Amino acid sequence: MFAVIHLPDFQLQAALRLEPELWSQPVALLEEPPAKAVVWQMTEPARQAGVVRGQTATQAAARRSGLLIKSRARAQEQTVAGLLLQCAACFSPAVEATAEGVCTLDLKGLPLEGEPERWAQTIIDSLARLQLQARLGVGDTPQIAALAARRARPFLRARDAGEFIAALPLADLEPSPDILEILQLWGIRTVGGFLALGRENLAERLGPEAVELFERAASRQARPLHLAVPDETFAEAMDFEPPVETLEPLLFVLRRFVGQLARRLEMVYQVAAELKLHLDLSSGAAWERLFLVPAPTSDVETLFRMLQTHLENVRTDAPIVALRLCAKPGRAARHQFGLFEAALRDPNQFHETLARLTALLGPRRVGTPLLEETYRPDSFRMELEGLVAPRPDEPASGADDPPPAGPPLRRFRPPAPAVVEMRSERPALLRSGPFTGPISRASGPWRASGQWWDAQGWAREEWDVQTWRGDLFRLARQDEQWFVDGIFD
Amino acid sequence: MVTAPYMKPAGASGIIELRRLLTERFPQARTWAESAPLKTPSFLPTGLPRLDALLQGGWLKGAVTEVSASGPGAGSALLLRALLRQSHRARQWMALIDGRDSFDPAGVEAPVLSRLFWVRCQTAEEALKAADLLLRDRNFPLVVLDLKINPAVQFRKISGATWFRLQRLARQNGTPLVALTPRAMIAGAETRLTLESRFTLAAWPLSEEGLMGQLKFELARAAETGVVQAAG
Repeated sequence: MFAVIHLPDFQLQAALRLEPELWSQPVALLEEPPAKAVVWQMTEPARQAGVVRGQTATQAAARRSGLLIKSRARAQEQTVAGLLLQCAACFSPAVEATAEGVCTLDLKGLPLEGEPERWAQTIIDSLARLQLQARLGVGDTPQIAALAARRARPFLRARDAGEFIAALPLADLEPSPDILEILQLWGIRTVGGFLALGRENLAERLGPEAVELFERAASRQARPLHLAVPDETFAEAMDFEPPVETLEPLLFVLRRFVGQLARRLEMVYQVAAELKLHLDLSSGAAWERLFLVPAPTSDVETLFRMLQTHLENVRTDAPIVALRLCAKPGRAARHQFGLFEAALRDPNQFHETLARLTALLGPRRVGTPLLEETYRPDSFRMELEGLVAPRPDEPASGADDPPPAGPPLRRFRPPAPAVVEMRSERPALLRSGPFTGPISRASGPWRASGQWWDAQGWAREEWDVQTWRGDLFRLARQDEQWFVDGIFD
Repeated sequence: MVTAPYMKPAGASGIIELRRLLTERFPQARTWAESAPLKTPSFLPTGLPRLDALLQGGWLKGAVTEVSASGPGAGSALLLRALLRQSHRARQWMALIDGRDSFDPAGVEAPVLSRLFWVRCQTAEEALKAADLLLRDRNFPLVVLDLKINPAVQFRKISGATWFRLQRLARQNGTPLVALTPRAMIAGAETRLTLESRFTLAAWPLSEEGLMGQLKFELARAAETGVVQAAG
């Protein structure tokens, strides 16, 4: 047994998938042959207004004021074709991409005997969540299933193949207009009537095309499927016309993209581990950014906020003409909070907060400090790794060093330049931004140096001093220049 | 006559209906009644027995605690280091919003630093914005806002509403916010401590325990949990 999923008006569905509200409005889709663009598919309101296939855009617009004319969205058509295959592969291991908007499934071995209607409805519902209207037919051969899918509203099972085929209108076999006209003049309206004419009679009077039609209608042999493997990439793309210049329309489309991708990933029981955003600019340049999802998820809000937070601080040199968003699937993180371990509870929320803090303060202003392997004062770097997944508490460099003497230092960054008067080779008077006045006590000097072997060499002399007011400063002399390093507190 | 729900006369049922409508329309919004203090106060231990005793268990969760250290060598950086060590012992993260980028990591052991999320700001205004973001984040059990050495001129630009907003965020998320300030300035702080230590160069030979032993704090304002004023 075989099933065929059919997306009627495939190109129109692809063009309107991200704007489902347009289905209730008159919209006509233009096919673009080399000579002249003509209407090819249209929404129901447009059809009711008298718009028919083959009209030029001007003729169609004259039928209905406010008719929205759209061109084919090739990028979306590719997306929908891949999406249809991915969806079909969720329900059968053997699938074929039969034609544009048509996918055939081999149901051999699948336990559907009891409730094929419910099974079919699950597929139709899955595609409906992806903004696609599907019809599904089931039959003994792929050909019969395909014919059933065209007649389905939205599901049809051809139980008796002969009876089903015989009752079909002749047009369902898609004969050429000439053959169809002749047969209609003969009074042949159904496939049953056509088959009753006999193979030899048809060959004699109408030629090989009629024979081919006869073979197609009479055949009960299941042809082998050309099995297809669904693409592993999950992507959504859109071309903008006119180009987008502000953030709002971009975010509007992105939100729908994220929603669609999340549903597609959920369909295969996966979540987004990475998002790659690609923008084509009208200048010909491209902008691309990879977003790593700290805790893989399919939550639309979380994924969208991640993109939004970053894009709020992005400026492109030219308007955007095309957008592509790819999601790399991954497994949902299984994080169990240990009894004695308190990791970040919501890594994705933290990722967003981190992006906002970085936008507010700039890079290298947030993170965990990691001490450098040097004695040079105030040498550290900011790390972001280990924030989401806590590092094991292993002793690192300097772990065994005792803390410096006295209360901790609050550093001035950069150190405040100072003038220090020395008496008896000890600091006696300090003139600086933070303080000006006599020094009552001083402890030092402590000399340190490093990297004398290269151009980064340094040498300094440090004093801890107490002013008459009680402030405790660290003074440092380097290259004959005094600085206030910070204040003890 | 058909009356729209929002036109019902005021009364208990009307208020309940209004709350329901508001919750439906603005799911992120919270009414004052919803954000009222927890009936059972919960505390985060400070790691300092004397301070825990003074605060009846530690930092009050969902509240702002102001620690003002006005004099020189009052010990605010020492307290900060003690809080960081406690976070490390409890295997929890601590967010430090450094209002003047003055924290010196060299004074802290590397494993202890691995539990610190350090936000290096230049101005008090930046620090308050960062505090807003981190309190909304809800990932950190303790958020410390250090404004100890920010210039006084920066505080004049802070409106009282800013502190109330932070207070409301802390209450909503149950996060204790500890603010280190050079003087008492947070009018709505549930708890206010003053650091009274006066370290001098004579304290240099003291060990860490010795320094902590000299740390003096006084409870200037107690949260509404039955704490009575006492000296540490």
